[in-house]
Order: sequence, then structure tokens, then C-alpha cells
Amino acid sequence: MAAEAIVAAVDVGMTVEQIAASQLGMKAIGAGIAVGLTGIGSGVAEMGIGSAAVGAVAENKDMFGLALLFTVIPETIVIFGLVVALLLLFV
Amino acid sequence: MLKPKRMSRLLIAASRDQMAPVVAELYRHNLFHIEEYVDAGAEGYEGFKIGSPLPGASEKSIDLIKIRAMTNAVSLSADDVDAGPSCSLDELQSRIEKELPVLEREVEELTVRRSKLDTRVKELEQKIFEITPFLDVPVDLNLYHGYKRFSTIAGYISRDVTITVPHEKHVVRGKEKNFLVVVFPTEQRSDVEKTLSEAGFQSVPVPQESGSPRGRIDFYQGEIATLNTEISEISKHLEDVRNRHASFLVACEELLKAEVDQSEAPLRFATTKQTFVAEGWIPTDQVTAVTNSLVHVTEGKIYVTVLPTDLEHDAVPVEYNNPDFAKPTQVLMDVYSRPSYTEVDPTLMVSIVFPIFFGLILGDVGYGLVLLVLALALRKYLKGEAGQQLLTVLRNASISSIFFGIIFSEFLGFAIPWWDPLVYSRHLMSGEHGGHGPNIPELMVLSIWIGIVHITLGRLLGMYNHAKQDHGHHRTLAIMANFGWLAVMWGIIIAIWSVAAVPLMPDLTGLPALASVPGLGLGLNLSIIIGGALILVGIVFIARESVLEVIELPTIVSHVLSYARIVAVGLSSVAIAMVVNFMTFDMFINPALENFSIVSIILILIGMGIFLFGHTLNIALGILGGGLHSIRLHYVEFFTKFYKGGGIRYNPFGMKRRFTEE
Repeated sequence: MAAEAIVAAVDVGMTVEQIAASQLGMKAIGAGIAVGLTGIGSGVAEMGIGSAAVGAVAENKDMFGLALLFTVIPETIVIFGLVVALLLLFV
Repeated sequence: MLKPKRMSRLLIAASRDQMAPVVAELYRHNLFHIEEYVDAGAEGYEGFKIGSPLPGASEKSIDLIKIRAMTNAVSLSADDVDAGPSCSLDELQSRIEKELPVLEREVEELTVRRSKLDTRVKELEQKIFEITPFLDVPVDLNLYHGYKRFSTIAGYISRDVTITVPHEKHVVRGKEKNFLVVVFPTEQRSDVEKTLSEAGFQSVPVPQESGSPRGRIDFYQGEIATLNTEISEISKHLEDVRNRHASFLVACEELLKAEVDQSEAPLRFATTKQTFVAEGWIPTDQVTAVTNSLVHVTEGKIYVTVLPTDLEHDAVPVEYNNPDFAKPTQVLMDVYSRPSYTEVDPTLMVSIVFPIFFGLILGDVGYGLVLLVLALALRKYLKGEAGQQLLTVLRNASISSIFFGIIFSEFLGFAIPWWDPLVYSRHLMSGEHGGHGPNIPELMVLSIWIGIVHITLGRLLGMYNHAKQDHGHHRTLAIMANFGWLAVMWGIIIAIWSVAAVPLMPDLTGLPALASVPGLGLGLNLSIIIGGALILVGIVFIARESVLEVIELPTIVSHVLSYARIVAVGLSSVAIAMVVNFMTFDMFINPALENFSIVSIILILIGMGIFLFGHTLNIALGILGGGLHSIRLHYVEFFTKFYKGGGIRYNPFGMKRRFTEE
């Protein structure tokens, strides 16, 4: 591994520390993308459900529990993103 | 526990002259859930009719409506009044006869006067609105009208126009549109109107007033101010009435409601000319007591019997049967759906598991304490029953939060200095504030384990429910399908164990390979074969119940992984807390203290502001995140495995008296 890194370092003209740092940066970017994109995904999915849910609750207050339930279903997507980000950063 | 209260179907028959005492007795017990009689010619009910109210019902209803109008007028609700010392019925009756009419007249007079004044204020505001455009025209208002041969038109127009007939006009230029006033000979009105309408003219009424516009507006505004003081005086007066008579009013309302309920009860009974029959549900353990007291009040002139229950067709009302500590959680069940009579009531499980999930997500001693204080303090202000129950749920959750905070060694995002995390660490930042790094993989696997156990429990309950509710061939298929889902889940888990070593889970990769896949070099050991077999058998079982269900198979993985949110949401809350602490201390307060000067004070204040704002925000997010995600894990991942709900609420005939005596 170390030998490969040194070879790579020689190839691109960077020191091993620089490569290690840039790897860390890549991880951070990856984690950011994971949370950001899944967040957008959840948002888009919840947009339609949320507006319909508010409409349903306005018609019938008993719907509140179910409406809340339906609205948070796409939340799982961003949770997966968060999990991936955590795994990227800490494992 | 785990089952709704057992109910018995009671049939009461007696002669009509016993109706009043029977109704009063049933009302007093507050146990009889009346099954309404519908005049649909049901078997055995030929010749019966819906009963008519007891005598005096309509007068009492009118009284009740009056009382409610009054409580509305002074905006009083029974929830706002503490259950006070109840006065005796006779005393209340006499007070109703003596005091109520006086009070009613007083309130009515005040409300009528207030609404008159309100109307007058609206009229004046309308006048001011009409005069306002004329403010910039330098002409008195009396010059606009009172001519025999001339007419006046006023309104808004987008651009100035040339009017061909002899006229006088004034244009006030505005930002978006111009205000125009034209005076012209009346006989040429049509020409003027045509020209104006071609230019997109919108007319406004010309006020029938005299004097300068400014003067009139000031005059009206002065009048509105006087009226408003009068209105606020009346409101104060009403407030006064409310404060003086609140307990009397709510007691009256309660008494009259009880009387109206009782006198209208026969509308739900089946009657003939001489007799009446009431059917309804009553908790099985109360049958003897109620029967005996009914026989007692009617001196034996009554027939009461328990009818057999047909679980498939009868709409049995559902009353929870939980130990006291689980009762508040019923509010979370009702939000989803009340359990049906024949299925397992999971309230007890939710009441135990929900706080644990909440604590695992928001495990922080500081936040837990804040929430605990909040839950106890709000108790005084939230008077409704559901609100109280929610607060108790929050209290339990915050205690669990403190408990897990001790385990995780966290206080407002700081590591508690006296001990290390007892099991796994969630401290994200190492260094000064963080202690050692987080045990993310272990925490993740732990939460997955929670998911596996929770879902397995859900499926087992599903098998039990189907065994209880269904019959014949369908019952076998449904139980097998539930077993199939379990088999696929465990098959996948065992297969994963055999190919990859996962921390905190059994490692089956070391088992000797029994066969190998040609070309891939992949060894198949015993466990992976068992796993694969389980998956196959499971899919067959699922497909036998419904082939379409097979497309739902991926939910097995996503539902289990969904429990990773326990760690993920928890860590995000830890991260926010740590960032807030970092900003407060490392960016503002510590540098400020190192070189102390006047500016430092400002920096320290900013730091404290960030600290307060950040942690308040994080607590709000913590309630939302911890509460919503914990309950969602129950609703979506747990309940979908076995829970149907849709039970009818047990709504006994009677009321809990708060202000009056029996």
C-alpha cells in the first residue's frame, strides 16, 4: 500500500502527505454529496406527499397521524445518505 | 394487557315507564356503549320504532344552547377551568332558575352592543377608505355633488386622456395608476363614459360628504377611536363576567348536557307502544354490577341479558386495557388507529420501546433535563386529556434520554469529564471536547440488531394475529406468508454472515466450503446454503398467499436498514451540539478571554447568543427527530408487519363529571 502510494506520489509529483490529505478531502466531498443529494431526493419526494397531506388534514383532522406517517416515509432516503456519509468518514 | 378490554353485548328490555330510571342509571355508571337502533327491519325487531325523547328534552336543549352561546361570547371552555368544588344539584338547579336569566340578559346586552359598535367601526372605516383617494385633490368634498346640470366621475386610470366634451378635470399622478376626477355636463355623460372606458377607467364612488377630505378623515378616525375604547370596555366587562361566573357557567353546561344526553337517549333505543329495548356493549367484568343496579332501580321490572358475541360481524367497541404506565402511550396509538377488538394491542410494547428509541437518538443528559423540565412545566398550561398524555410520553422519553446520556457520557454535546462512555462512544470530535473517537460501526450494527429483533417480533405477532382472526385455508396461507417474510429476512442475514465478517454479529465465513461455484471461485459453505434455502422457501410461501407481494421483497432490506436512523439521527444531533460548542468556545469565548479587552465582552456575548440559539434549535430538532423517527419506526417498520387497527372507540353513555355531583 505504502509502496503504491509512493509510486503514485512520484507519478503525479505530490508528496505522500499531500495524497493522504487529498484522499481525506475526497472522502469529505463524497460524504457531502451523499447527504446533499439524498436530502434533495427526500425533499422532492416529500413535496408532493406533504402538500397532499396538508390538504387531507385540512379536510379531516383525524387524518393527522396517517398524514404525518406518509410524509416522513421518504425520510429513509436521506437517512441512508447520512449512514453512507458516516461510514465514509469514520469507518 | 396486549388485548383490548373484553366486552359483552347487553340487551335491556323493560316497559316504557321504566325508561327514565334506566337511562339515569346507565348514565350514572358511564359504562354502556349504546348500539344505536336503526329502523331497518332487522330480524327480531319487526314492529319496533326509534324512540322519542323524554319529556322536557327540547326546553333543556334550548337552555343548553343558550349556555353555550354565553360561554362562546365570553370565550370560556371547560378545559380552562380547574375542576372546582362541586355544588349540590338542588343548589345548582335553583341558581340556574334565579341567576341564569339575569346573567344571560347581561351577556346578551353586552354582545349585542359590541357587535353594533363593531358594525359602526366597519362603516366608518369604509368611509375613510372611500375618501382617501380624494386627499390629493385640492377641492372640498361638497363641491363634488349637488349640481343640476353637472355630474362628477372619479376613478383610477393608467394614463391621462383627452376628453372632447367641455369639462373640468383633475389628475393625481400615482406610482402605478393615476387618480382622475372629471366634472362634465350631465347630458354628455355617455360620451365621457365611452372615452374613459376606452382608456381602461375603473370608477370609484364619489363620497356624499362636505368639508375638506383631510378634515373628514380625521373626524372619522377620532370617532373610531372612541368606539374602540367603548368596545374594549365592553370586552373588559365580558371578561369580568367570565371571571366571576366561570365555575357556575361550566357547571351549568355540564348539568344541562347530562340532562339533554339522558333525555335524548331514547332516540337510540328501539321502542314499541309499551316497551323499549336497548342494546349495547359493556366491559365483561362490569356486567353483574350494572345488571344488579338496573334490577334494583326498577324494582325487578326489567329484563337484562348477555347476548352471544359474533366476532366477525359485530362491531365491538374497543377500550384499551393497559397498566397505568402504558396509558399515556394510547394517544400515540389513537393517532395511528385504534386496535381492532380481535388483534394484539401493541400499546404496551410501544410504551416501552418508544422511550428507548428516543433515548438512543437523543442520549444527552443536558437535553434530557431540559425536556423533563419542559414536560413538567407545560403540565399546568395544557389542560386537555390528550395534551396531558403527550406530556407524560415526553416525560418518559426525556428520562430515557437522561439515562442514555449517562451511558453515552454526553452533556449538551460535551463529554462528561468524570466517566467515559459506558458502552460505545458517540463523541464525534476527538481532542479537547470530544474524548476518543466514535464507535460508528459498532453503533450501526447495534441499531441493525434492534431492527432485526423488532421486525422479527412484528412478524411473530402477525402470525399470531392471523391465527386468531382468519379461518380455514386463508389462515394457513397468511401464517405461512408471515413465516416466509421472516425466512427471507433471516436467510439474507445468514447469507451475509457467511460471506462477510461483521462486527458484533456471528462470523460464519470460517465454515468449510462444501461446494464451489465454477468460474467464480466462490466457496459455498453450509451456512450460505441454509441461507439460500431459507430465502427460496420464504419466497415460495409469500408467493402462495399473493404473487404480487413478491415485488415487495426489497422492503425487507430497506426496513431493517431503516433502523440505522437510530444512530444516524442521533449522531447528527450530537454533531450539531458539538459544532455549537466549538463555535461558542473555540471561536468566540476562549480567544476573547485570552486577550481581554472591551471587544472581548461583545465577543463573549455573541458566543453566549450562539450557545443559547444553537442548543434551543437542537433541542427543537431533537424532539422532532427523536420523537418523529422513533414513532415512525413503530408506525412504518413495526406496525405494517401485523397491525391493522380500525377499531371503534368505546364511547360509553355517560360523562366524567368535573363540576357537578351525581
